[in-house]
Amino acid sequence: MTGDVRAEFVAALGADAVLADPVELRAYECDGLTGFRVVPALVLLPRTAAAVADAVRICARERIPFVARGAGTGLSGGALPVANGVVISLQRLRSIIEVDPVNRRAVVEPGVTNLDISRAAAPHGLYFAPDPSSQQVCTIGGNIAENSGGAHCLKYGFTVHHVLSADVVLPDGTTAVLGADSPHLGGYDLLGAFIGSEGTLGIATRITVKLLPKPAAVRTLVADFPSVEQAGDAVTSIIAAGIVPAAAEMMDAVAIEAVQAALDAGYSRDTAAALIVELDGPQAEVDIQFAEVRQLCQNHGTTNIRVAGDEHERALVWKGRKAAFAAVGRISPDYIVQDGVVPRTLLATALTRIGELAAAAGLRVSNVFHAGDGNLHPLVLYSEAAGELERAEELSRAIAELCVDLGGSLSGEHGIGTDKACSMPRQFSEDDLATMALLRAAYDTDGICNPGKVLPTPRLCGEKPGVHRPHPLEAAGLIERT
Amino acid sequence: MTALCPSTVDELGAAIAETAATHPRLLITGNGTAEGWGAPARPADATVDTTGLTGVIRYSPADMTIAVRAGTPLAIVQQVVREHGQRVALDPARAAQDATVGGLLATADAGPLRTSHGSLRDLVIGTTVVLADGTTARSGGHVIKNVAGYDLAKLFHGSLGTLGVVAEVVLRLHPAPRAVTTVRVPASAEHGFQVATHLVTSGVEAAALEWCAGPDDRLLVRLEGTPDGVADRVREVSADGATVLTDDEACEEWSAVAATAVGEPGDTVVRFGALPAAGPAALGKIRAFADDLGLGVTISSSVPAGVHTVRVHGGAARAHSHLLAALHDDHHANVTVLRRDGLHTSSAWGPPPSAIRVMRAVKHRFDPTCRFGAGRFDGWLDDEKGLS
Amino acid sequence: MNSEPLADCVHCGFCLPTCPTYVVSGQETESPRGRIYLMDLAARGEISVDEAFGGHIDSCLGCLACVPACPSGVRYDKLIESVRPQVEREVPRGFADRLFRRLIFALFPYPNRLRLAALAGLLYTRSGLRTLLHRLGVVERLPSRLRALEALLPPVGLQALFSSVPEMTPGRGEVRLRVGLLAGCANRVFFGDVNAATVRVLAAEGCDVYVPRDNQCCGALSSHAGHEEDGAERAKATIEMFERYRLDVVVANVAGCGSALKEYGDILSGSPDFAERAKAFSAKVRDITELLAELPARTARAPLDLRVAYHDACHLANAQGVRSQPREVLRSIPGLSVHDIAEAELCCGSAGIYNLVQPDTAEELGRRKAENLQATGPDVVATANAGCLLQIRRFLDEGITVVHPVQLLDASIRGVALFATADLNAKTRERR
Repeated sequence: MTGDVRAEFVAALGADAVLADPVELRAYECDGLTGFRVVPALVLLPRTAAAVADAVRICARERIPFVARGAGTGLSGGALPVANGVVISLQRLRSIIEVDPVNRRAVVEPGVTNLDISRAAAPHGLYFAPDPSSQQVCTIGGNIAENSGGAHCLKYGFTVHHVLSADVVLPDGTTAVLGADSPHLGGYDLLGAFIGSEGTLGIATRITVKLLPKPAAVRTLVADFPSVEQAGDAVTSIIAAGIVPAAAEMMDAVAIEAVQAALDAGYSRDTAAALIVELDGPQAEVDIQFAEVRQLCQNHGTTNIRVAGDEHERALVWKGRKAAFAAVGRISPDYIVQDGVVPRTLLATALTRIGELAAAAGLRVSNVFHAGDGNLHPLVLYSEAAGELERAEELSRAIAELCVDLGGSLSGEHGIGTDKACSMPRQFSEDDLATMALLRAAYDTDGICNPGKVLPTPRLCGEKPGVHRPHPLEAAGLIERT
Repeated sequence: MTALCPSTVDELGAAIAETAATHPRLLITGNGTAEGWGAPARPADATVDTTGLTGVIRYSPADMTIAVRAGTPLAIVQQVVREHGQRVALDPARAAQDATVGGLLATADAGPLRTSHGSLRDLVIGTTVVLADGTTARSGGHVIKNVAGYDLAKLFHGSLGTLGVVAEVVLRLHPAPRAVTTVRVPASAEHGFQVATHLVTSGVEAAALEWCAGPDDRLLVRLEGTPDGVADRVREVSADGATVLTDDEACEEWSAVAATAVGEPGDTVVRFGALPAAGPAALGKIRAFADDLGLGVTISSSVPAGVHTVRVHGGAARAHSHLLAALHDDHHANVTVLRRDGLHTSSAWGPPPSAIRVMRAVKHRFDPTCRFGAGRFDGWLDDEKGLS
Repeated sequence: MNSEPLADCVHCGFCLPTCPTYVVSGQETESPRGRIYLMDLAARGEISVDEAFGGHIDSCLGCLACVPACPSGVRYDKLIESVRPQVEREVPRGFADRLFRRLIFALFPYPNRLRLAALAGLLYTRSGLRTLLHRLGVVERLPSRLRALEALLPPVGLQALFSSVPEMTPGRGEVRLRVGLLAGCANRVFFGDVNAATVRVLAAEGCDVYVPRDNQCCGALSSHAGHEEDGAERAKATIEMFERYRLDVVVANVAGCGSALKEYGDILSGSPDFAERAKAFSAKVRDITELLAELPARTARAPLDLRVAYHDACHLANAQGVRSQPREVLRSIPGLSVHDIAEAELCCGSAGIYNLVQPDTAEELGRRKAENLQATGPDVVATANAGCLLQIRRFLDEGITVVHPVQLLDASIRGVALFATADLNAKTRERR
């Protein structure tokens, strides 16, 4: 990058918004997935939406690749910088512009944390439903990029279900509003396609989210089971009974051990699996269904049921669950957090196969997962010092691909990012991927917006994605690949 | 006119690829329930008839997902899953006319359940589409939670057959409620909005909150759940003047809501979205203007979502068009014509949204030769002049 | 530097929202995660310990809010304390920076020098010079560090400046404990009334109170700023000083000092002469609110009809884990209501000498804290740390009294209004 371009960024954003010191740049070389590291040429910290557009306009004109970054908590390397590119950090766009209790929505800047939206809405009895484990840190901009869910998405859905509109800076530096004041609008659902695009279609700078009323009643229990399979069957029976729990989460013995080491959240240490079931809604419905859930857990051999007696106990149950990943750091020097989905009915099969894979690799795997929707988070424990990294990475990849083979998905919530781009051909055909590339090119003609993420590229994946075959439209000269 | 009538995705892909030279312009049809939506399609060289592309591909009741061919009527899907105590949480008026799942996706249609479950956008977890060159592309999958890759279904939601053919759809299912009761509250638009807002914030979790106008103004509150739970909540909802409806009465009321969205020959039906709190004023304005123009209107509004469906009847064609123009002035791109019998012009769409460039770019990438659905978006896609 | 604790960080970022400098700047290098990352790179030799590196270490307030927030149990407190000496050794400071830091370290740990400086400050205030210089805009043109020093001058009266508590005060009734009180250096000069209240409350609750007169700085300032050796020497002197009195408990009423006393066991663990003594000493240390919460109350408490906004001092809540006790002590006063504030975990910007060496960030944090405190509509703000008292008073609206919790308890036990502090406040107002 030339000094002139850097000077232009400084002129547009101010000197304190352009980081170029080699030491400072290093701190941005990775996000929550530290296995991939690339030092960017510059880091930009704009304070306004207009400054974001200014920055992107310069990038577009100079064909400089850019990567938007929120809190850097992503676990798939979605905010991995591009060499010679810039990182645009949204951490200075942190205003909650408006909370509108009548229409039950909030207008926020992208750097606002997920939890701060709920905090701002709380005085009105409202909250923002998606609640990823990192909700106190992760930003709404990042939630949009990843289409974040959280423990309660079984009932309440994902970020895409809770965002009404977004002002976005498109990769050419122009701006547009995607979505509208209500879910009804004419034309394609361009906002829906944007959400979950992992920062490859543009940068959201002003976001209108829906707020939900806090449920009238919430009941939470933790049921211990002698095996993970029995707990899984209990979940299936609950859902088959026509109950949609707000959340159904499971932790195995290793995860429980870690959580209890990090903070005493009251989980039983001597059980093979703990199942958290939470119901919420109108008091009458919750009471009736909660009794059914208890009965179903008993039918499936629960050894102990702990019902959260008050809000404090409930918060503690969730604090333990949400700290599970990081807490594993206490029982293993290193670990990889995997994220895959299988049809819920194949949970037991998947867990057995994961156990076999782990045994073959000679490594421990801990399972923390959203049992209600079949979203597994196997944690592959290893020691880098003991030279286990490569084996751990292989095992982790094998687990993700196992999920695909079982009819599931490579990712339920962490995204494809850099980490799994090369596995995409396992789940999608060349035509599928080529068509997804069409969508991307419609938003980002020059391919400068978070390049290298989501879709496999021959450069990153070597021979893996197979022989490059031009898309028929490309062959016809109607489109060009970016 | 030539009709391509595939019964499998492969046949569909082949038929479209093979006819590229002979039949450059295609019109995708299902059971024809949305012919009146948007602007009229221009004459095509052939139709792609999806009514043969039917049937359940895979239904896993325990996973609560179902994959169907896109030409399958929603009503048939509902029948299949009802046997397992499940449903697709979608109740568009056109379902009764055998609208297909693919057609409902392409029109972004929904019914009163949008208040609690949204539209097909929120229920589709996977799609297979066929593009203008016959390429078959899949996105999403068979699991509810899935963020791998771009979600092509979103682009096709509301695409009115202008991007490609929806061939297969995987849907997320919900448990069918064990009990359903509807409560009717006589209410003006303003009062209806207040009652609905109160009910939403009180956490009663109504499945539908539909305010209806014509002949009487009333709010319909549909509660779904367990028998005891619903009975309890009905007591909570019932205030002075509220009537707990019998099943027959409820059926009649919800049929009237559906009838508003379908309309009668000669009617104009329009759907628009607005900020929920702006609803009562917007509706008041429409009714006053309709009075001036000598038009009759019936209205059905999903109050918490801010989605309003207006059926305009009687009066002169010119007056229908005036009313539509007034809606375009106020609600811009968020107005969709569902039935255009009553209009004397073909300009169904208002000013394009600010993201129109992206929409055009998507169209250009997916359908560069403009094979599909020419005319349906009128000037928005400007297909005759070539795309920017 | 020991690199093992560095490896504990899994880069999850849970510390980010608790970090005051990150909240203000939005910059990764101004966060615990970023600082740990840089420390790790430096430990691996991938980056040099240069000015940019040192700048991000210097900017850390040491509030330690990130420690309880960390699910992986990273001991950031240990990490930052171990890297600071390295920065002190390897990063050359500019002349002005050196001079200013030397001034602070030559002033604050020495009560007599500080008293002299405070006297000068008093003269400066009373003589009208301050008003004059403000009016002439001279103060506005001072470098921000000097401006901060000027603005923090507490409103002490001449009498308060030279007041002191007796070396021994007998407990009332049957004596329950022999308690030593660390009078503190800056605390003794600026907050003699807090010490007086502490002694009265302890005596009323049946404790013999010993206040060594010869105490100097306990080493908190030095240790927290990376002056390891100086910190260790001061720790030894403090232990020896208290050992003379055969105490059951050593009490601190300044959170920063208390946390330093509790760390002596760690600091001196390598010293053959002091390792055991330091461990025993640290085990006896309590914050005043901790001790009061442990001791069943003997005294009757008169109602105080006050809304109190309680501010958690970082060195009490994060470093010592003392959160509930001050609230319990306050709630034991009839008629008084305690209110928690938004962003409670965010430092007020005082942080030892931070508001003097990093005044801009400190000012932003101070304003933010004041806004959050005021949002609860309090009559009184209570916080158990001298630095916080000074910092918060600077940014708070007029009419809100800032006190140490023990002063409220003292007023309640004595059945008097909070006149002493109210009087202080009046002076603050008059000065403005």
